[in-house]
Amino acid sequence: MRYLTACLLGTALAITAINPASAASKTVTIVLSEEPDVIDPCESTRSNVGRIVKQNIAETLIEIDPANGNIRPRLATSWKQTDKLTWQFELRKGVKFHDGADFDAAAAVKSINRTLNPTQDCEIRLKFFGNIKVSPKAIGSHTLEVKTDTTQPILPALMSVMAIASPNTQPLKGTRNPVGTGPYKFKSWNPGQDVVIERFDGYWGEKPQADGARYIWRSESAVRAAMVKADEADIAPNIALQDATDKTLDFSYFNSETSRLRIDMEQAPLNDIRVRKALNYAVDLEALRGSIFSKGVMPMTNIVVPSINGHNPSLKPWPYDVKKAKALLAEAKADGVKVDTEILMRGRLGMYPNATEAMEAIHAMLSEAGFNVKLKMVEVASWVDSYTRPFAADRGPVLQQGQHDNNSGDAVFSVFFKYACKGPQSTTCDKQVDDGITAASAATGDERRNLWQEVMRRLHQDIVPDVQMFHMVGFSRINKRLDFTPSISMNSEMQISQVKFK
Amino acid sequence: MHKYLTKRAFHSFISLAGLLVLVFFLTRLTGDPGNLFLPIDATLEARQEFTVKHGFDQPIYVQFGRYVVDLAQGDLGDSIRKQRPAIDIVLEAIPVTLMLAAVAMSIALVGSIVVGSMAAYRPGGIFDRVASISSLVSASAPDFWVAITAILVFSVTLQWLPTSGMGGPATWIMPICILVIRPFGLLVQVVRGSMITVLSSAYIKTARAKGVKEHAVIFVHALRNAMLPIITVAGDQAAGIANGAVIVETIFGWPGIGKLMIDSIIQRDFAVVQASILVTAIVILSINIVVDITYAILDPRIRHK
Repeated sequence: MRYLTACLLGTALAITAINPASAASKTVTIVLSEEPDVIDPCESTRSNVGRIVKQNIAETLIEIDPANGNIRPRLATSWKQTDKLTWQFELRKGVKFHDGADFDAAAAVKSINRTLNPTQDCEIRLKFFGNIKVSPKAIGSHTLEVKTDTTQPILPALMSVMAIASPNTQPLKGTRNPVGTGPYKFKSWNPGQDVVIERFDGYWGEKPQADGARYIWRSESAVRAAMVKADEADIAPNIALQDATDKTLDFSYFNSETSRLRIDMEQAPLNDIRVRKALNYAVDLEALRGSIFSKGVMPMTNIVVPSINGHNPSLKPWPYDVKKAKALLAEAKADGVKVDTEILMRGRLGMYPNATEAMEAIHAMLSEAGFNVKLKMVEVASWVDSYTRPFAADRGPVLQQGQHDNNSGDAVFSVFFKYACKGPQSTTCDKQVDDGITAASAATGDERRNLWQEVMRRLHQDIVPDVQMFHMVGFSRINKRLDFTPSISMNSEMQISQVKFK
Repeated sequence: MHKYLTKRAFHSFISLAGLLVLVFFLTRLTGDPGNLFLPIDATLEARQEFTVKHGFDQPIYVQFGRYVVDLAQGDLGDSIRKQRPAIDIVLEAIPVTLMLAAVAMSIALVGSIVVGSMAAYRPGGIFDRVASISSLVSASAPDFWVAITAILVFSVTLQWLPTSGMGGPATWIMPICILVIRPFGLLVQVVRGSMITVLSSAYIKTARAKGVKEHAVIFVHALRNAMLPIITVAGDQAAGIANGAVIVETIFGWPGIGKLMIDSIIQRDFAVVQASILVTAIVILSINIVVDITYAILDPRIRHK
């Protein structure tokens, strides 16, 4: 009995020793959905790397204002285009890297070259600079010149993804010890356990309130949400709709994602615009909103969300009208279009919360309108194989579930890839759209916005390459002790310097 | 015994070699890792460049030849994603799973022997009925649901235990309890069945007639003979946990081999898949050898054969 009492007492003491809440601590605990593979600044466009590294450890020359999508200075104080192929950036003076190295034009050149080096598989190069040859050069101690092989009117916006690493960062291989100029410096990475960053006292900007941050990871959304509720974590940036049940802790925000079904326009009967319009008329978005999708989602009209340059606000969502859908199908059938052909709906398991249920509901709606549709949900690997070029010649008509993320400020990052004749994920080819993309990509200011909006109009009204769904919302759970509101940029970064304590 | 062990080790080596060949070719059938590693917007040229750089453009037999040569030199390759040697990643993960497996199986084995034996002592009695029903429930409990419910009750509502994470003693309680539930339920059933058979044997009646004390009859005379099926099932359950306590590792954030293996398969990180399977297979083959040795210790007839 004495042993039993001792055991119970020991267990009770061990439990009491748990330190769940860190109410007095000024270190922010963030629970991510997965451990990062590397924490290299050149990979900071990957969500779980960016949330640790971008603007916390390594800063960019220019950053995007999440409120309006405009660009603003960060490590560069000003910039100008000196000719069609050249941009010049004036860099901030008196900035030091965490390892003591000076931030100057030579350091910026070295970091950009490292990111764009083809021997390394940096995501920033692969995602944003695959088609552009960039030559950076220091033309003064703090003046950086960047030449490109094609006109890049939005090069400053592109530089908002280029996180600058110390010139002492190991070349040719991803680093696990990132060094930048940001308000926080890397402290430790305990594999499988946590990543810790701490405040950098030599930071050039305003001193942030938080002493540091600890990043941990749990795959299950319910566990992440529970951790904030139990005061074990301060921020869970990405929780599922069904776990966002506490109005005092949960925030919803447009997360820059847009969901759709890509219509394979190269395959009959989807090559007939009446069939494509009928698909859109047949889907009752209002029935999906507030049931399978959050009430906060917005029906999609453009591939980019409203805060992105090029979004056309005059476009209206497709109304739900089954009669019209049936009439269009009947009309197409009368003209010899084989509308009875089986159409494959290919969805991706876990693409977003309730992705399978959404596809099942749409499948039922399309069937009711008279389409012969078959639903197939696949794993990510199989989905990617069929989503990107080269497409299988014998693929048949397919509606492919997709979700696109653009919080980079401009429609150029979306439209070419999704709708150009040579776009890697495009099953659409229209000369007018291609010409529009070329013209908009080369333009600036109001002209650029107008040209993108015209491309969006043509896609929406004359081409109809998608079954349009929603601009999505994300949910974050924030501990009551923090004064922090999530924004559209949460998908790619989370600036700890903006976290305040109540 | 030496001869037996050598023979067993040789058989294990053959199984291991066959498994590695199979895994190598099966992983290659899943498709191009570049399609998952590279961003969806990567150009076709970038995809081709990636494939060439990592040797995935080579004929499968060339890739296999290179793998065998590297393996012979102790090189299991680098993880494409983590850009580190795959074996380092696996060796960080396997101790976590082995610790979980060792603690959970010890508790399950001892607990089930006690409960199962007591239930078998009076078949049909109240204790037997309670033990049988609870072990059935326990053996069929969906551990995912139990784990999430336990977090909501003990961490969020009562705030007695941490929700997840690996650290002090308190962080062990829920993961271990969840891991124990199923093997415990299953083993109670096996122990009970086996003990009921043995307790009705003639030699037990003789022992009782000779005045041997009841606890000695049950835990010394009967249990030893009842142990063979228990060891078989326990070995199987232990191998299952060593193969990755995926649910527990995923929900409670324990960085073990099960989650690592699933993630690497989903991400087509071939080097990590192969290294994980190699190390896990060695562990499982070792468990099987230990089970065989235990058989021989418990039953002299097996030893003499």
